[in-house]
Amino acid sequence: MLKYFINTAFLLCCIVSLSQENNLQPNDTIIKNKYGLRVGIDLFNPVSTFFNDDRKGLELVGDYRVSKKFYVAAELGYMDNTTDEDYINFTTNGSYIKAGFDYNAYSNWLDMENAIYIGMRYGFSTFSQTLNSFTINNNPFLDDLAVAESGQKFENLNAHWVEFVLGIKAELFNNLFLGFSFSGKKMITTKEPDNFKNLFVPGFNRVFLNNSGFGFNYTLSYLIPLYKKEK
Amino acid sequence: MKFKLEYLFFFIITFIAITGCERDDICIDEITPNLVIRFYDFEDQTETKSISQLSVKIIGIENDSLFFSGTDSIFVPLKVTSNNTQFVFTVNSNDAALLNRDALTVNYSAEAVFVGRSCGYKSIFNNTTYDLTDDGNMWIQKIEMITEQIENETTAHVKIFH
Repeated sequence: MLKYFINTAFLLCCIVSLSQENNLQPNDTIIKNKYGLRVGIDLFNPVSTFFNDDRKGLELVGDYRVSKKFYVAAELGYMDNTTDEDYINFTTNGSYIKAGFDYNAYSNWLDMENAIYIGMRYGFSTFSQTLNSFTINNNPFLDDLAVAESGQKFENLNAHWVEFVLGIKAELFNNLFLGFSFSGKKMITTKEPDNFKNLFVPGFNRVFLNNSGFGFNYTLSYLIPLYKKEK
Repeated sequence: MKFKLEYLFFFIITFIAITGCERDDICIDEITPNLVIRFYDFEDQTETKSISQLSVKIIGIENDSLFFSGTDSIFVPLKVTSNNTQFVFTVNSNDAALLNRDALTVNYSAEAVFVGRSCGYKSIFNNTTYDLTDDGNMWIQKIEMITEQIENETTAHVKIFH
């Protein structure tokens, strides 16, 4: 008996929704979302270059909307970074590419295009490391911690990693977006130099002991609208 | 979808916490090994024999001597900026009547080995040889190398019989 009751309730639901659709007036505004290619530049590196001479970099960002919620996204960059530690000083130089997707979890009002998104990236970088100077760490009794100038260059190194991205994008003006994102990274594989280690990788930043890393991005991007769609 | 996003925030915050707390910029790894010398009895060469009031002077180092007493094994540093280290071992150094100085030169080729971000490089020593200078009044009777390569401090590298 209950079964019939529930089935009837479902049926009624359908009728209600059907009747609602019928009530739709032809002159109601239909919200259309903008689809297109968004290209931009990372602001974090140019700003940090301004304050810190040891880090020079440039990153171009882009995404392409494939559905209401999903974007195919990529970053392309170059970095020249000098790391100074207690007993070593080295310069990392190379370029990187990251590709993946973003999922916009934010429900916009009307035709707004803001985003709070999560994403994943696969990252790849080719680079070289130059060991500028190093110290042989010996028993402090000898007091012979002389810094040796090396200049040894390790070339043709590479790294593969994955990133989880969390970010926001806000439309400042028509089609112009300002974004901020945080990424947590995990190294998959690296080609390590002989008798040295990839302690910094372009695009990955500092490589921590457990092969993880993180990064921040501020981006300014422009949406080139290609077409509009209801969903 | 909203609650799933909260999970993700939680996940990422945890991820930051795990990666952020890690300290890898304090040097706690093994650095350049010291030379480990074990003292044996010349009369009964299987038995260790403690030294008394041994002072060790490293030639060319400003610091005071290293001092050991009542032990049968000592750790002394080797220079990494040179291919030899000269030691003067003075036994019974607190007693002017009994003290006896012997000079030992350790020759080697030092090889730089990468340790990590915080420690930089260390040295290991290959092709080690030992030269005792005979001054006619030796307290060191005999020296016997155990290993030619000094990589760590877990076992002795050389035996001194006295």
